[in-house]
Formats: sequence, structure tokens, C-alpha cells
Amino acid sequence: MNGREGKQQHDLSQYTVPSITAAAHELKAPLALLRQLALRLEDDAVTDAERRDLVQRMTLTTERALRLTSDLTKSARLDDALFELEPINPEQLCRDIVTELTPLFEAHHRELSLSRKTHPLLLVANRDLLRRIIMNFSDNALQYSQPGTAVELQIQAFKSSGIIRVGVRDYGPALSSDMWRTLQKKLSKAPQAIHARPQSSGLGLFIASQFADAMQGRIGATRHRDGATFYVELQASQQLSLL
Amino acid sequence: MTTKQQTILLIEDDAWLAELEAKALEQDGYTVVHAPHAPAAIVAIDATPPDAIVLDVLLGGSTAFALLHELQSYEDTGELPIVLCTNMAETLSLEELKPYGVRRIVDKSTMLPADLVAAVRSVLL
Repeated sequence: MNGREGKQQHDLSQYTVPSITAAAHELKAPLALLRQLALRLEDDAVTDAERRDLVQRMTLTTERALRLTSDLTKSARLDDALFELEPINPEQLCRDIVTELTPLFEAHHRELSLSRKTHPLLLVANRDLLRRIIMNFSDNALQYSQPGTAVELQIQAFKSSGIIRVGVRDYGPALSSDMWRTLQKKLSKAPQAIHARPQSSGLGLFIASQFADAMQGRIGATRHRDGATFYVELQASQQLSLL
Repeated sequence: MTTKQQTILLIEDDAWLAELEAKALEQDGYTVVHAPHAPAAIVAIDATPPDAIVLDVLLGGSTAFALLHELQSYEDTGELPIVLCTNMAETLSLEELKPYGVRRIVDKSTMLPADLVAAVRSVLL
């Protein structure tokens, strides 16, 4: 991995197996939101414009939940399946994902964009699995980015190691280092009854890690002062050297 | 309706859910300030000390428990009544959380908007 000064990077390839409880919890969030949207829809005071907005939000929330269930199913069957690896143009794939997710991002007042490369790059991957990983990271970025900010899909080539990295950069809470350290210190000193409470299940990262493994790749994350980049690294296609 | 306009700090990282919860509270006469994460909540508390806090448990960047601990560290914020509004309600104990200012726990997955309003009203009595 290419280290970058001033940023914290984490290898996420050893992410632990989530429990059924974690999967249930991850699905609970969109279902709870759907229920609240539906309850609001029942309110007689809702205007036509708000009604249309609520229905769109219900559709988009349902699609997010369905993506998670589909990923869970795929993840559970990984051992039994063979995944064809082929040269893929990640820029084209990312462009398709931007098109697909733009309505969701716009509904959240955020922008999803692709940082374009001068030269086309090819990597070796299974198109479906790579697409799921990037969609997963994009969903995560949507959740943790600031309204009005852009989430960027980024593609980098590390020619010396023959690796191509596809990352999703978000601009999340502008956490100063001091504030971060203070919060972490406070948390570590909290009594066990509080400290031991379950936190985010990390189910999405586990699934992405599994999908990356199936393609002989790995996932990782870089924490920036103003957000994070989650990425997947895969072997560059031999055709890269011809470019 | 409340007689005095009281301010509720709503800490919820899901913008759409926050909008719905804010609407329910505003309809009952409260002024709602929304913070999507713990750092924004700290800034909001410094700017306008709220009368009560509605807090989600799983937040981007840090959990609510880090924030609860932070709030307890200061005299002025340590007394703020807190309503936890969470999908994890069934795994939490109100008795254990009372020392951290938590007065009510509302189950986000089963609540009606009126339940959240009732919980807020009860901690402000």
C-alpha cells in the first residue's frame, strides 16, 4: 500500500464475521425509516408535494435495503460459486454507478462524481462483485458525508506493484485532531457498562471484504481530517502495460 | 402545546428521519436544532444550550456513548435531560444509563411520532 503522510490508513481485509444480530440490526435501520415515512404519509396534513417527496424517499430507502439483502445473499453463497474474472474498465463501471446512484444522492442533497483519469485503466475483477463493493462504499459515504458535499469515486494506479485502487472519498464530520483525541480518550475511560455496548456492526465492510477476497483483492480505508476514503485494490490487467 | 418555546437538540445522522422527528416536535411547539453527529452537537450546545436532547445511538464518527460521557464532564451540560431514540432500545438499560443523563429510551423501530413527543415532554416536566 502506498502510505500518504498525514493520513491514517487501515487494512480492512481481516474484518470479522458479522453475526445474524448485526445483519438484523443493519436491516432494522432502513425498515424503521420506511415505517416513519409511511406514518407521515398517513397524515392528512401532508401536501401533494410532500407526498411525492415521501414516496420517492420510500422507494430509495427500499432500494438501499434491497441492495443490502442482495449483498448478504451473495456473500452467503460465495464459497459455492465461481466468479469469472475479466479485464474491466473501472472508469466505465464507476460512471454507470454514478448514473444509478445520482437520484439517491440528489434526494439527500449530495453529489456523486467521478474523478476522471487521463489514461484509461484496466483491472482484473468480477464486474458484479466490484460493482457491489463500490455501491456499498458509496452508500456508506452517503450516510457519513455532510449535506451539500460531493462524494468522489477515485481511481489510482500503482504501476510498481501492478495494483489499481478504486476508492470512494467522502467529506464527513470536520473533526479536528484535538477533538478526535478528546472524544477517543473519553470513550476509553468510560465505564465498562457503557464502553462494551455494541457499535456499528461493520456488516457492509465485511461483505465488501469478502467480495474483494473472492477477486484476490483487498479493501482498506484512509481517514482524513475531513472525512474518509474507502477503497478496494485489485490487480491491474496485463493490458495496462500496453497503455 | 408548550407555553414556553423550549429548544430540543436532535442528534440524528439520518437526515430524513431527523426531518420527520423534528416535524413532530415542532408541531408540539418546540424549537428543534438538528446536529447530524457528535462534533456538530457539541458546537450546537455551545451556541444555544438546549432544554433537552434527543439522541440516536449509532452516529457517524463516534457513538452516542462518547458524547454522553463528554456531556457528563461539564457541570452545565451534565444536567441536560436526554432521550435516547434508537433502534437498539431492546439492548439498553435505562437504569444503567441514568447516571449519564438519560431519562427515557424510545424504540425507533416501533415508536409513533407522538411517542417521541411524549418522551420529550416528560423529561421537561
